[in-house]
Amino acid sequence: MSETKVNILPVPTFSSLGVNYAKRDIKRYETVKASISPSDNRSVVLFADEKTLSVGELRVKVSRGVKLKLVQVFERQSPYVSKLDAELEDNAELELIQIYIGGSDTVSEVVTRLDGAKSRFTAVIGCTLDGEDKLDINLIAEHRGRKSESSIEIGSVLRGRSQKIFKGTIDFKNGSSGAKGSEHESALLLDNRVRNRTVPVILCEEENVEGNHGATVGRLDENHIFYMRSRGISEEKIYELAARSQLMKAVSRIDDDTAKARVYKALGWGDADE
Amino acid sequence: MKQKTQVADVDRSLYDFRFEEDESDFFDSGITPEIIREISEEKNDPDWMREFRLRSLEIYKRTPMVSWGASIEGLDVDNIVAYIRPKTRMNTDWEKVPENIKETFERLGIPQAERESLAGVGAQYDSELVYHNVREEVAQSGVVYTDLESAMHDPKYAEIIRSHFMKLVPPTDHKFAALHGAVWSGGSFVYVPKNVHLEIPLQSYFRLNAKGAGQFEHTLIILEENSYLHFIEGCSAPKYYEAGLHAGCVELYVGEGASLRYSTIENWSKNMYNLNTKRALVQKNGRIEWVSGSFGSHVSYLYPMSILNGEGASAEFTGITFAGEGQDLDTGAKIVHNAPNTSSYMNTKSLSKSGGKSTFRSAVVVNENAVGSKSSVNCESLMLDNISRSDTVPVIDVKTDKCDVGHEARIGRISDEAIFYLTSRGLSEEDARAMIVRGFADNVSKELPLEYAVEMNSLIGLEMHGSVG
Amino acid sequence: MSDLLKTEGLTVSAEDKELLRGVDLTLGKGETHVLMGPNGAGKSTLGCTVMGSPEYKVTGGRILFDGEDITEESADKRAKRGIFLSFQDPVEIPGITLSEFLRNALEQQTGQRIKLFEHKKNLAAAMSVLGMDESYAGRDLNVGFSGGEKKKAEILQLLMLKPRLAILDETDSGLDVDAVKVVSKGIEEYKKSVGGTLLIITHNAKILEELNADKTHILSNGRIVREGDGQLAFDVLADGFEKYIEEV
Repeated sequence: MSETKVNILPVPTFSSLGVNYAKRDIKRYETVKASISPSDNRSVVLFADEKTLSVGELRVKVSRGVKLKLVQVFERQSPYVSKLDAELEDNAELELIQIYIGGSDTVSEVVTRLDGAKSRFTAVIGCTLDGEDKLDINLIAEHRGRKSESSIEIGSVLRGRSQKIFKGTIDFKNGSSGAKGSEHESALLLDNRVRNRTVPVILCEEENVEGNHGATVGRLDENHIFYMRSRGISEEKIYELAARSQLMKAVSRIDDDTAKARVYKALGWGDADE
Repeated sequence: MKQKTQVADVDRSLYDFRFEEDESDFFDSGITPEIIREISEEKNDPDWMREFRLRSLEIYKRTPMVSWGASIEGLDVDNIVAYIRPKTRMNTDWEKVPENIKETFERLGIPQAERESLAGVGAQYDSELVYHNVREEVAQSGVVYTDLESAMHDPKYAEIIRSHFMKLVPPTDHKFAALHGAVWSGGSFVYVPKNVHLEIPLQSYFRLNAKGAGQFEHTLIILEENSYLHFIEGCSAPKYYEAGLHAGCVELYVGEGASLRYSTIENWSKNMYNLNTKRALVQKNGRIEWVSGSFGSHVSYLYPMSILNGEGASAEFTGITFAGEGQDLDTGAKIVHNAPNTSSYMNTKSLSKSGGKSTFRSAVVVNENAVGSKSSVNCESLMLDNISRSDTVPVIDVKTDKCDVGHEARIGRISDEAIFYLTSRGLSEEDARAMIVRGFADNVSKELPLEYAVEMNSLIGLEMHGSVG
Repeated sequence: MSDLLKTEGLTVSAEDKELLRGVDLTLGKGETHVLMGPNGAGKSTLGCTVMGSPEYKVTGGRILFDGEDITEESADKRAKRGIFLSFQDPVEIPGITLSEFLRNALEQQTGQRIKLFEHKKNLAAAMSVLGMDESYAGRDLNVGFSGGEKKKAEILQLLMLKPRLAILDETDSGLDVDAVKVVSKGIEEYKKSVGGTLLIITHNAKILEELNADKTHILSNGRIVREGDGQLAFDVLADGFEKYIEEV
């Protein structure tokens, strides 16, 4: 009954679009809390599946000069609320790989605070949705450190009646002089009943910054199809390949062989070595 | 240093002057059903309009404030005199316009502009149209350009107004649309018959000129099949010591195959709350083109909306917003693709300077039925110093697979390299900056008739040189 | 006083790195000088510093132009004195056409208003010397120009602005045949019509051949390590830098 607002857009906009927040009854969910604060370079892989509790709260602190690579694979088919809160010190680096496979109702928030000078945040996200899947992602990169850099890339494939909201915010706070942030989203829609909402926000109160975002949403480019067909590839295969390429950027960044094999299997791609 | 980068220097006092209002009647500042009845009676409204106003007031009272956008805390709607009746009635002869009003307009260049082969001038002084003239040739083509109040009583147009007035922007749309429905006054009615292409643009100037006065003008434009019109709305207001409110409403009906260009260079004084609603409904193969420059006001909420309702309809939005000291300008556009093979293109620029805040806010909605539609949005922001703020908040909502939607945005500043390059060729740093900003604004200036582009460049020059007093 | 440009013990640094370590250079009026040196020697730094780039900080010495100390002057003041620098990679200015920009620059430099008709006529004349298509005048300054087109536009500005001192920085720019022709042609026209002083940074044999330089300076590691007549430039091209740098 008591629903909580989650995935709140940092700057609310036209309410009729339904992107300002999601509401979930998270008090009834069981929460698992964890934290990662490595002191040396580290690579961590986490799976959210049916065995996982329905709310995951993860705190990450990357210390000065340390590089953390965090892979999160979401393959749970029942409601799930995920929160990731990351803090980056000077010269710290966080590479975040998120792969959403299905997700009947997943709400996922990532707040990365680039507090340290020259801290870097790279997020590469891939998602594939089908049927009645719902996915709401709220990703915020807060730049406070001088010359901090963030790069956000998300590729997705939507089929069936699936719905996705991707809110990606680059927030240049005062003092983040020399900071750069970029965000790019590509969404491939393969059924006429899908719904894809994209909210690429840039907030800026610092002069000396560079920010850009881009998004392409819709069907496969006709030139692309023509080119592929001219090389003898069937239409079915063209779509399969295109869908695969939306996720490939994220998947290819998984170093751990066991994890990679599991993701390939879940995506129905066969063996990772192929 | 002389300002050589400008085509013509503009005296800011042209925009910041006002006359003391004298015998004009003030209504009670609070808005009650009695006031609405009084306004209605004063305007000799038909019954349906009086009822409409009263209904709108009820909606206004029960509608909550919008929950997003710029802060309008400084605005006390109940203290704003909704309506001020000027001392003169409609006048199509310039000579008969009272001297002080005339002088105001003359300083704004309206008669000159008309002399320079402009089609018609509808100028609003306070809340009532005082000067109105349409060139013979325009009238002969069957184009109607008049004030809404008289058109409402003309049996030829009464029905068409009743069936279109606030149907596109209903009073239930938001709080200020409701307020507008209750107290609207003045504005223009334009009707372009089938197959008529009006080559010369129609212009209208709106002004606010009394302390604490609100301006609620309504613009209703109807384009029949295969017609063409360019309508230019110019706004500028003198300085006030109390907050002023502008809650105008623009409704544009673009018929099959018709094409409408609606240009606005808005320069309200820097204490105005500009909460304007503009909307266009575009039928099959019709086209709406918005050209919008926002320079003035203290707070603006402005997102012209295009509803592409017929197959092959298209919309283009070109805008620039310049937020200087003390300004919070929340602007953008909304586009709804509601038919197959519709297309839209949006190109906006925003600038923030001297502590000003500009927000670009947009929504592109592609509905299930809009198969084969295309949309492209491009927005760029320029931060001119370190105490200002610039936000970009676009939403893309796509409900069909068979479409192509693209979005691009950039934010940045004027690079040191660019300044050095220009100064090495002899420009002062100040002029170099002004030149870069002028170039940045060229998406809008090249879409405007020359005299407007010149005026806009002058405004940019003024903002850049910080000589606004 | 027949020296146009003189640097005295010029030391320059950028981002805490010392790039020039005491450069003495003298250019007499109407002379043509060649500046050579290996990558990273400080050639472009010298050009930019003389022009007054805020990126480079003068930490010692001074720059005299026509006998006056201009070390602290801003770039636009130096431009008004008649100093011109051609950029290797000129900045793109969207929304401002090449013609409009040049008219503004000329008006700023001369302090006089220039009639549009006259400006267009002069521009067309200069463009035809360089074999440039007239449509360039209406294009946004450097926006979407190819490397060769940008080079042409820079040389066009040289001819239009008629500076007393032209510093042409052609280093590392990998000029194609067409661009080399334009640069040579531009220099020839500049010397003929303006008779100004030239400091050209180049390794290009073709340009050197047509230059007929009075003097050659070799810069290495922030210092002038060798000076000679025009022939020195050809010797360096034939033998490589090492020989000349080692001798010091």
